[in-house]
Amino acid sequence: MIIIKDLHKSFGDKEILKGIDLHVKKSEVVVVIGPSGSGKSTMLRCVNYLEVPTSGTITLDGKTITRQVDINTIRAEVGMVFQHFNLFPHMTVLQNITLAPIKVRRLAQPEAERVAMELLKRVGLESKAEARPSELSGGQQQRVAIARALAMHPKIMLFDEPTSALDPEMVNEVLDVMKNLAESGMTMMVVTHEMGFARQVADRVLFMDEGRIIEQGSPDEVFNHPKEDRTREFLSKIL
Amino acid sequence: MSFDFSLITDHLPLLLVGALVTIEITALAVAIGTMIGLFVGVAELSRYKWLRYPAKVYVDFIRGTPLLVQIFIIYFALPIILGTRIEPFAAAVAACSINSGAYVAEIFRAGIQSIDKGQMEAGRSLGMSWTQTMVHIVIPQAFRRTIPQLGNEFIAMLKDSSLVSVIGFEELTRKGQLIIASTYGSLEIWSAVAVIYLIMTLSITRFVAYLEKRFH
Repeated sequence: MIIIKDLHKSFGDKEILKGIDLHVKKSEVVVVIGPSGSGKSTMLRCVNYLEVPTSGTITLDGKTITRQVDINTIRAEVGMVFQHFNLFPHMTVLQNITLAPIKVRRLAQPEAERVAMELLKRVGLESKAEARPSELSGGQQQRVAIARALAMHPKIMLFDEPTSALDPEMVNEVLDVMKNLAESGMTMMVVTHEMGFARQVADRVLFMDEGRIIEQGSPDEVFNHPKEDRTREFLSKIL
Repeated sequence: MSFDFSLITDHLPLLLVGALVTIEITALAVAIGTMIGLFVGVAELSRYKWLRYPAKVYVDFIRGTPLLVQIFIIYFALPIILGTRIEPFAAAVAACSINSGAYVAEIFRAGIQSIDKGQMEAGRSLGMSWTQTMVHIVIPQAFRRTIPQLGNEFIAMLKDSSLVSVIGFEELTRKGQLIIASTYGSLEIWSAVAVIYLIMTLSITRFVAYLEKRFH
């Protein structure tokens, strides 16, 4: 589903990604962990070209991203959830969710609203359809952001530290939505510091440091039997 | 010194006609200027040089030269190139619109840049194009945020429109000059003109404050 080949990314003369190779299968949930500055978020943002790779190729669902390919049609298939939600503050919750389906997928408004209400139900927020994002808690906002991404019927969902900006008591409501999504067979890449989530939901855990994938394997392998010193050192600090 | 109020009351209808013309020209200039400004402000942020550079040149030229000179260029110099006369009204509206456009462009540019980068990223990540994201997400937020500055620009334009009196266009200031030429009532008429401008600018201030409240 996602094939990353020899991905490099530099900002100025600082190399953030130093050659990433990764193959994510359909319905696989890959959780990416690692210290801050290790390039986790940058890798995720390269997958939908929010950051343009310095070199290397990315293939999504058989389509390799090149200059000739319309990036917008590819992005429409890849949902992204951000650390700071990035909801549109001047629109209601419902409008947030229906905007892209109407503008990109050319859905009629009643149809888009019907889909949006179903998704809001799924994330437990159907009563908030007419609310503004500013009237919602952080956890509620992030659940709306997930619904907004799902409204495009993406084949892949990317989560960039989706619970890092949340108060602790709101983390679980978001993780629960993500768990349900994983169980429904969605292909997911999740950058997170929630090790409990990684243990429970991940098919595979990647440990990244200094722009490289240092170690990867099942949650049991990475958390209980890490092979690399750097992985052990990182886990000893956070667990 | 004597202050002859009858001079004001006698000529008030004429002054009010001038005030209406001032409002008309200001409203037109701000409306057209806002459209120019929106386009140029976005162009300044474009990734294409052929859009960015002309926008920058236009803004720098207009902001770096006096409006009075711009009025002279349009009314006296441009006809030499075009080979036809330009009506004072058309010249006045053109000069004020083009002038206002540059200032509004800077207001919009700053407003758009003040919107969190995450908004553009969220729009793009949903598959919307740069233009779609600008139109539906970034610009509506930037517009709300820039209402106070746009109000200031409206007020500045209303006052600066007095400069078109130099090409004989009969707005409020010119009407005052003409009345004084026949009555010698400098003190009374200029006072009245000033008060009328003040009433207009204060009204706009109130209106902008109301808009600001409504949008927040």
